[in-house]
Amino acid sequence: MDALIVIFITGLISLFVGMLKKPYLTLGIIASGLVLSFCLQMNYGNYTSIFSKYDNLYFNITQLYFSEMAIGFTLLLVLGGFQYFKQDIEHTSDYLSLLLFSLCGAICLIGFTDLFMFFLGLEILSIPIYVMVGIKKQDVLSAEASLKYFFTGSFATAILLFGIALLYGATASFNLATIQEAIQSGSYSEPMLLIALLFIIAAFLFKVGAVPFHFWGPDVYQGAPDIVMAFMATVVKLAAVFAFLKLYAGTFQFLSEFWTGALNIAIILSLFLGYLSALRQTSFKRMLAYSSISNTGFALFALLTTSPSSAGSLWVFLVAYGCATIALVTISMIIHNVDDKIAAFKGIGYKNPFIGFVMIMSLLSLSGIPPLSGFFGKFLLLSNAINDHLYLVILALVSSAIGAFLYLRMIVLSLAKETENTVEKYPISILQYIVLGVCTVGLLGGWLIIIL
Amino acid sequence: MELLILPFVFGILSFIIPSSWSRTFGLIGAASSLLVALFHLSGFEPQTVRTIFDPNRTFPLGLSFKMGFDALGLVMILLTNGIVLLVLLSNWNREIAKNKLFTALVFLMQFGLLGVFTAQDGILFYIFWEFTLLPIFLILYWFGAKDNNPTLFKFFIYTLVGSLAMLAALIVLGSFSSSYSYEDLRQVSLPAGYACWIMSGFLLAFAIKIPLFPFHTWQPATYSSAPMAGTMLLSALMLKMALFGMIKWMLPLTSEGLECMRWPVIILGSIGIVYGALIAIKQNDIKKIFAYASISHLGLIAAGIMLYTTSAMQGAMIQIINHSLISVGLFLAADILENRTGTRKINELGGIAKLAPHYGFWFAVIVFAGLSVPFTAGFIGEFILIKEMFSFHMIIGIVAATTLVLGAVYMLRGYQVSMFGAPKLTEFQDLKWNETFVFVALTILILVIGLSSNCIIDFLEPSLSNYQVTLK
Repeated sequence: MDALIVIFITGLISLFVGMLKKPYLTLGIIASGLVLSFCLQMNYGNYTSIFSKYDNLYFNITQLYFSEMAIGFTLLLVLGGFQYFKQDIEHTSDYLSLLLFSLCGAICLIGFTDLFMFFLGLEILSIPIYVMVGIKKQDVLSAEASLKYFFTGSFATAILLFGIALLYGATASFNLATIQEAIQSGSYSEPMLLIALLFIIAAFLFKVGAVPFHFWGPDVYQGAPDIVMAFMATVVKLAAVFAFLKLYAGTFQFLSEFWTGALNIAIILSLFLGYLSALRQTSFKRMLAYSSISNTGFALFALLTTSPSSAGSLWVFLVAYGCATIALVTISMIIHNVDDKIAAFKGIGYKNPFIGFVMIMSLLSLSGIPPLSGFFGKFLLLSNAINDHLYLVILALVSSAIGAFLYLRMIVLSLAKETENTVEKYPISILQYIVLGVCTVGLLGGWLIIIL
Repeated sequence: MELLILPFVFGILSFIIPSSWSRTFGLIGAASSLLVALFHLSGFEPQTVRTIFDPNRTFPLGLSFKMGFDALGLVMILLTNGIVLLVLLSNWNREIAKNKLFTALVFLMQFGLLGVFTAQDGILFYIFWEFTLLPIFLILYWFGAKDNNPTLFKFFIYTLVGSLAMLAALIVLGSFSSSYSYEDLRQVSLPAGYACWIMSGFLLAFAIKIPLFPFHTWQPATYSSAPMAGTMLLSALMLKMALFGMIKWMLPLTSEGLECMRWPVIILGSIGIVYGALIAIKQNDIKKIFAYASISHLGLIAAGIMLYTTSAMQGAMIQIINHSLISVGLFLAADILENRTGTRKINELGGIAKLAPHYGFWFAVIVFAGLSVPFTAGFIGEFILIKEMFSFHMIIGIVAATTLVLGAVYMLRGYQVSMFGAPKLTEFQDLKWNETFVFVALTILILVIGLSSNCIIDFLEPSLSNYQVTLK
């Protein structure tokens, strides 16, 4: 709760500081605000916040870990994307504070205890993103992406609201605990509740970008600036998946026979459609968008079990996925991949060993090769689900072989001895070194989770 | 633990040192690893398991991270460290040895292999098993033939699919057990419906890596596009990982499924024996001859392991060691041909024995060892294996025995066409000191093992019969 306030105030301050047109000052304020809120979330157990009376948001250890992950990713993205935001000196602070406001939404979405807060969080998360996607004003693709995301997103929101209204009609409450009690005791009107569940699941699948509601994904990812794309692929996705987990594996767990069928289909389709479509892409961001659809499919495995460890497994998986995505996007920015071509990565790993190392680590982690974090994430998720959903797990393994092929092609491309670029060595700024270093630690340290 | 740390540290250091030192550095590293392994051999009691790493607690999800080795593991460790030394030595005067990336990757490969041979935890075994794929892939990619991407993808995806099947099998197996440690997995008694499937999960991984017919299609192309060191590491060590996995992991853990998988594997192995040999006879590329020959040899070993009798496994172990040594020799000989003449087509070669008598002699020695003539290690190994196959089923035994005849045909054909006849070349540089050294070392090892195979059989006996206790 404190962290939320700190982030919001930091955003406001940086808006005012932005008038001075000193980008490094803005960066300093935002970074220190994020670090402060990160630390606040860490120390939460030791003291009671004065705001703890407000019970629409509740943070226990799981929520704290997830919101820390969201803050950490945002910090990495702000640092990694500073080079890009700095170019437009008029608006640097506007963009950065929009990211922070969106992060506030993500934290609300992680900590909500009733559906009112949930809806509020989702909207605070989404609205800045609608703007951010369109900040490349001269770019047709960016404008298209922004408009497309806005319209489809509002439509999904409307469906979600409809679902929430029906849920209220069925159980007479917005509070998650009350709803769960009502479901458990059977005091609800059945068809209304079930329809509400379907509406909410559809809206969720849209927000996390899972098949069959994934069509906006590649277009929006392609049009958005690199950093905004990475923000959508990591922070937005993790908040939405966690809220999904909390609602469905928590509140609606007693109706799981009803919704697991629909979810299974969405998972299978996401796993295969994502990777298979990604194989044919030439645009780097579209490739990343499709592979993120498949990774969402993996993340949704956490919903299939009600065991308490599923949130932890999801956390490991999302950390690995987020670090890999941020590292790849940062590398793409380092090499000035404005044409957004996969071929632009050719040979950069061989010429720049550090970039090559980070790139190999992130791609291998995405394909789930041990001993990287991606492997442990997938391993935890799948071994939780193996008892009830053996066939789903086998299909997931098959799809991860397809994914491995996809990522392997990129590894091979980046390690090629000959290159198409004329630049011998790319300059890497200190901030980017920090981002890549932190990501590498995140990718290599997955086994620590098991030990600690 | 120093067994594993040493190659890893040397691997990391190799990235840092200047390139001009890398080959000396490589030799020092490999020799010290071998010394450490020999140090472990002295005073090793064959019936004990020596634990080298034990955190003494079970981590979440039942991971135990235990490491250790018994007599079988120790033999494989010695083999790995010895072969790595020979591989580095045979590359001594090639361009590749001066590249520090190469030295580093070989050490990382050695690290992964030693991990596979010492893992006492199912998931740790899988982690190291997958880890070995990365260095070998990079060796093949950076130092192999140009434009070999499709081949490499095939190799990588094939083996990865197999490994994923093994991972699924391990997770299902682990769900019956309290932890993934080897002792706990041994105590699992599987329900009838599961055993067969779990075993086939393991088997898919191993069959692709061995490679067993019909999963062999990645192998010849990968071998022929690989650099010499890559081929040697693949055939001498990486394939042995799969056979080791069959003996130590698949059979003891899922012995309930043996009945349903025994015949398929033995039949596939027997088909592989004949099929590999027949194709090898028709090949013109000398590296492909040896690639198909290795399908034939390994089919015999795999079928022998599936018999699951102590003496068949002893024969298989002798043959595993022997095949590693022979394949290093054969691929070195093949690469010398390619290196000096620029071609591997045997019909473009001829009369080399006259131009380079030393090379002709040592190549012949390795070829004869490959034919399993008496006094070489192969003789004992194949003899035991074929004898066991006969007592299992007569027709299988007859099919297996054809390996002796067919092996003679393709080996001698390859040797005769390239080395004898009218010279088609004007000059051929004879062996360099390091190549002579490798050949001499291999010959001594092959003869010593051939003459004293009883020692090895006795050394391995307790651990091999320990793997059989669970047979129900």
